[in-house]
Amino acid sequence: MSFIEDSQNSAPDSVQTSKLGAARKGAEPGQNAAKRLQTELMQLMTSPAPGVSAFPSADGNLLSWRATIEGPEDTPYSGLSFKLSFEFPSNYPYAPPTVLFRTPIYHPNVDFSGRICLDILKDKWTAAYNTQTVLLSLQSLLGEPNNASPLNGEAAELWDKDPALFKTKVMDRHKDIEDD
Amino acid sequence: MPEQKMRGFGDFSDDQHWGDEAASEMENVRMSDVVAAGGQKWMAISVYVSIWTAIQYHLCTNAREGCLLTAVISPDATTAAASIADYHLTSPTGTRGRMNEARRQHQVALASTLSTGTNGRGLLEDAWKNAPAICRPGMTEASYAGILPVGASIAAARKRNLQFRYRTRIHAQDLGSTRIARCLLWQPDMPAAVASQWRDRQRRVFQSVFQTDVAPSTSQTTHVSQSTDPGQPFGYPLAPLPGHSLHPQQPQQTHHGRGRSLQRPGQHPSSRRATPESSSFGSTAPPLLTTAVDDQATYDRAWHVVTAHIALPSSATADDSFGTLAAESQQQSSRRRGDAGANEFYDAFALVINASTLLPRATRTDDILAWHVRQVRAHFAQHVIPLLTGCVADDGDDDGDDEAGEARDDGAGNGHWHAARKGNHYERHMVTVMSSIRTLEAALRLYFYGLNQLLSGFSRLADSSPGLAKDAELLNTRFRRDTHALVSNSASEGLMRSIKAVLTRLAGTILGFPSQDERKGDGGQAPRPAAPGPDDLRVQAARERLLELVQQLHNVGLAGERFQVLFAEVMDLMMSAFVTGAYGGVWSAPDPGSFSVAMDTISRSGPSSATSPCIMSLSDWVENHFARLSFEVLACISSNPQGPLPVSLADVKTYQSLALGRLAALRIGELFDIVLAWPASRPALDDLRATITTATRRRQLTDSFSRSLQIRLLHPGRSTLEILQTYISIIRTLHALDPSKVLLSHVEPRLQLYLCHREDAVRVVVSGLLASPDEIRAARKANEVAKSPREKPQSNGPFATAAMPAMSSSTSRDKPRLHSSVQVDENGASPDDNYSRRPTKLVELALLLNDPAQNRRMAADLDEDLDWDDMNWVPDPIDAGANYKRPKSEDVVGTIISGLGSEEVFIKEFSAVVAERLLSEPTRFDQELRVLDLLKRRFGEAALQSCDVMIRDVQDSRRVDTAIHKARAGQRARALATPAKSAADCRGQEMEYHARILSRLFWPNLDREHFLLPQPVVEQQAQYEQGYESVKSRRKLTWLNQLGQARVELELRDRTVTADCNPVEATVIYAFQRTEDDGDGNAPPVQKSVDELYEQLQMDEDLIAAALRFWVGKGVLCRVAGSKNNYIVVETLHDPAASTTTAVPTASTQDEEGQQHATGELEAPDLRAAAGAKPAVSAKERERREIYWRYIQGMLTNVSATMPLGQMAMMMKISIADGFPWSNEELQDFLAEKVTSGELEVVGGKYRLVKK
Repeated sequence: MSFIEDSQNSAPDSVQTSKLGAARKGAEPGQNAAKRLQTELMQLMTSPAPGVSAFPSADGNLLSWRATIEGPEDTPYSGLSFKLSFEFPSNYPYAPPTVLFRTPIYHPNVDFSGRICLDILKDKWTAAYNTQTVLLSLQSLLGEPNNASPLNGEAAELWDKDPALFKTKVMDRHKDIEDD
Repeated sequence: MPEQKMRGFGDFSDDQHWGDEAASEMENVRMSDVVAAGGQKWMAISVYVSIWTAIQYHLCTNAREGCLLTAVISPDATTAAASIADYHLTSPTGTRGRMNEARRQHQVALASTLSTGTNGRGLLEDAWKNAPAICRPGMTEASYAGILPVGASIAAARKRNLQFRYRTRIHAQDLGSTRIARCLLWQPDMPAAVASQWRDRQRRVFQSVFQTDVAPSTSQTTHVSQSTDPGQPFGYPLAPLPGHSLHPQQPQQTHHGRGRSLQRPGQHPSSRRATPESSSFGSTAPPLLTTAVDDQATYDRAWHVVTAHIALPSSATADDSFGTLAAESQQQSSRRRGDAGANEFYDAFALVINASTLLPRATRTDDILAWHVRQVRAHFAQHVIPLLTGCVADDGDDDGDDEAGEARDDGAGNGHWHAARKGNHYERHMVTVMSSIRTLEAALRLYFYGLNQLLSGFSRLADSSPGLAKDAELLNTRFRRDTHALVSNSASEGLMRSIKAVLTRLAGTILGFPSQDERKGDGGQAPRPAAPGPDDLRVQAARERLLELVQQLHNVGLAGERFQVLFAEVMDLMMSAFVTGAYGGVWSAPDPGSFSVAMDTISRSGPSSATSPCIMSLSDWVENHFARLSFEVLACISSNPQGPLPVSLADVKTYQSLALGRLAALRIGELFDIVLAWPASRPALDDLRATITTATRRRQLTDSFSRSLQIRLLHPGRSTLEILQTYISIIRTLHALDPSKVLLSHVEPRLQLYLCHREDAVRVVVSGLLASPDEIRAARKANEVAKSPREKPQSNGPFATAAMPAMSSSTSRDKPRLHSSVQVDENGASPDDNYSRRPTKLVELALLLNDPAQNRRMAADLDEDLDWDDMNWVPDPIDAGANYKRPKSEDVVGTIISGLGSEEVFIKEFSAVVAERLLSEPTRFDQELRVLDLLKRRFGEAALQSCDVMIRDVQDSRRVDTAIHKARAGQRARALATPAKSAADCRGQEMEYHARILSRLFWPNLDREHFLLPQPVVEQQAQYEQGYESVKSRRKLTWLNQLGQARVELELRDRTVTADCNPVEATVIYAFQRTEDDGDGNAPPVQKSVDELYEQLQMDEDLIAAALRFWVGKGVLCRVAGSKNNYIVVETLHDPAASTTTAVPTASTQDEEGQQHATGELEAPDLRAAAGAKPAVSAKERERREIYWRYIQGMLTNVSATMPLGQMAMMMKISIADGFPWSNEELQDFLAEKVTSGELEVVGGKYRLVKK
């Protein structure tokens, strides 16, 4: 409860904030991003999508999240789960979050350090997207890779040519990571 | 004069060899100022060495006893003792060795000088006279004897005597003068006056070092027995020696056994003392003292005459009268003897005084004044003190009651019994004091009679020697002082207590405390102390009495330091009692006219000028009564009437500030009541503001207030409403007290913290803000009604000028609102009417919100730092915090809102309440709009945007509603073209149906509750929907069935019931509608079970149960006997078995033709209707728990597979936007449930999801 800060003579920042008055609204981007992320989190919790989940990371920073995607059925990734990290910029949702696969994954659009090639995380980003939509896009990307612009050429080739080998590579590459 | 004398004994001082040795000793005594020439110098030196030796000698043997003894004798002796003690303490061991050597050398010197001639004979005799009373253990030391160059026993005796003589001259060294020391050696030739002075000193020092009896006269003569027993025959000095030496010394020995025992043990003091002196006297004195015997006899005779003349009566048996009688008898006897007696006395007196001149051979002389002093002391101790004790004794057993009575003195109304006892006490104390005074007066008269005799003797002698007159004056004052010291030091505790009681009583009367008579007469309410008027006879009498008493006390010596301390205590008590008694609970302004006097006094220029009436009256009281009394009493007992005034103007100021301090303490104690009584207590705040001037007092105030807050307000017995009302009063009070609000900020945190625990605090505030004008009017009226009874006690206040009566009786009447409840706690009962008047809303807030003064802040904020025109500017208080910012106005609303936590919480609650109100009332929303406007100015537009939207929604829906109805009216008009029957039918089916269209995103908590509405309503909904979609294209309506209001008219067999209810209740009762095909009214009443209703309505069972209860409460339904879940319609009140025309809701505005049509003004959602029901709340809670569980799952899935409780709680707190209200314990319980249900597991103190 912040009543102490609100009393007349207390910490300097409270005085400043009260001086700023109305200007405060919208003036602190990090504040807005955090608020938005809290709302998104609440949405995720109240209407969860199957196979995806996300949560702020343990350090108490709302701009850094951890997420989990279950591999969709009828894809080589079925039965596997992948951990991701989300780093939200302070002007989120006006800029996309940086999303990385933390679990090693063999996928045409993901490189070996977990970077993802997905248009909505780059130039196609709009403020209408949110964490949940990103997660669902990624989930669908697992089943439908965009082989036109691969980060992993070999995987792109194998996806069409040799699904069995692809599946083996996926299983080889996959490794459950420990929690940090 | 000394030079002459020294020349006289140059003939025996040429012995160079001991002179050298003595020179070495000289350094030790530091006689740098010795001025002498030739052999005389050596004599002088030897004298000094002797003196010094004597001092050293005594140091180790008797100094300690001497110090103890002399402490009680006289100032001079005390000085000597102090110097001895100094010597003793600084060199306890170091001097001992040196002393032995010095003593040896000294003996050598003396032996050689004395054996050479007879010049020292007079000196020897003088010493001889002093010898008998002395014990000199050192004399018998073997080493001592071995050093003696001349072995004669005479020489030994002389040496002893001489050495003793030197001892008695200790004080000579104190004076630090060589000359005086020399003079002493040749005392027989000195002028008589000087000699007697020296003798006096000599004796005193002697007494200080050795322990002689204080009571008898000179120790070496027979005067002891003769003076105390004047009738006995007079004895010559030689004759009584053997018997005398045994007789008086025997008691001495026992009396002073402790002191004596400090001397050399093993040697009997009396034998040592008696034998050598008598033997030496016998062997050496006779040839020398043939003339001395005659002189001595003359002297002793004269001494006897004088002492007999001034002797005090030896025994006293008569209580009060003994003194006067004795004095009279003295006078009578002297008169009887007539002039002859007087002359005889004066002659004898002259002899005694000038003994050294007139009777140079009389060796045993003494100071008659000293004798008198001793006699007085003895008499006082033996006769007067027992009498004084007798005066006090009978009071002793009442001490306990007495003190208890004093303690209760300031507490008013102790009842008649106590008052009566108190009166008795006073009388008894007065008797004690007066009898003591009379006794002392008599005794002192006796003592001074003797003194005056002596003084008149002096005055006769004054002609011959002028120095004596001055002496006499000195002696007189000294005697007086000593006697007074004696009296005041011997005053018993009981006497002092009595004096205190008497003082308290008299000072109390003078200072305006009500007497017991008034207390008795008044009965119930004790009168308050008040400054008495100038013509109050009682006060004048008491004043005279007191001053007279003080004067008497002063005369007998009882007005010493102890009395002054006592007086100070009493006055202190008076001030406290007056402040408490006169101003406790009295807050209002007294009649200003009565203080016109005060306005002309110095208090006007004081720092507290032009402040509250209490302060003015108090200052006036202090100045005109308190200080006056102090002045009079102190002037009375002042020893120096010409000295500075006992009470200066500065003292008066000090008194006033002391009194204000007391007043401040009183008000601080009352602050909580002052707050409760706001605004009637405004004058009390003036008092406080003027007196709370230091940071310490401010601190004291906040501490004390916080404590009483904790005890009296912040506990579960207080409703949130009461706490908030008090909070408002606190804000206003403390703001009035301290516009800087620093005091408030010191008190607030605890209150705010407590309010945070009250979940309904925000709601109470919001609903208070939104109180309707009607409620405000009602509250105002209640306040006025509450105020009116207070007018009566106001008029009949006692001096106290009190516009308010005593607090205990007034508070409950003054403050009907909150105060009544306070009184409940304190008194256990409260007037009933207070309950009825207590409002249920915090309407004060609404009043404040409309108060322009409260909103000044917004305007002032613009240039708050640059307000150069503020002529009332004062610096920030000293106890303000570092970032303290001066507030511009009271701003109660702002303070309370900020006290409730963040703005967000408040706004959220505000929109919830606004939503509820918007949905509940079909009226206009003027109040809401106004409050909203005011709040917008406070919080900004953006924060209250949702409220704006809500209000617009409601306004829009009214318009849309009208449009839809118009459109449907048009349809109906077209339908009228069809056959009339159908038209009538159509109208019959019609019911009024209005909806409010809400924007989903901006309304809080719009949950949907599923159930089936009655068919007609559903049809209406469909039509309405249709109409809406035609008005607003591409929009869809979602119905919130559970929110809204319905007016239901039930036509039962014997009566019609109209009820306003919520849709759920309307739906349930509609289910009991008799279906159309049941035909006429002969069928039995409709009966349904809960299960049937559940199937029919698809409604939550809890809601069904609640609705059934509602209708049972209305008397429409009742439970079927014998079954738990079946309900039946009560068609007739008195005959439940009779049949029915079933109840049907009928549109209130519609035709009342008995057609059974359900109608409902199903208006849009009502938040509270749903949230108010218990099941809904628990459903909400269930939902919340479900959400939390998802959070925990998300946490454990993504962040870390295992987490400890604390981290989870922390994560919950940061990640949930609305805050996570659970404590760690609650979360733990929740997690434990999940562990039990197998969804979680605990591994190593951390939680983990169970893998499926």
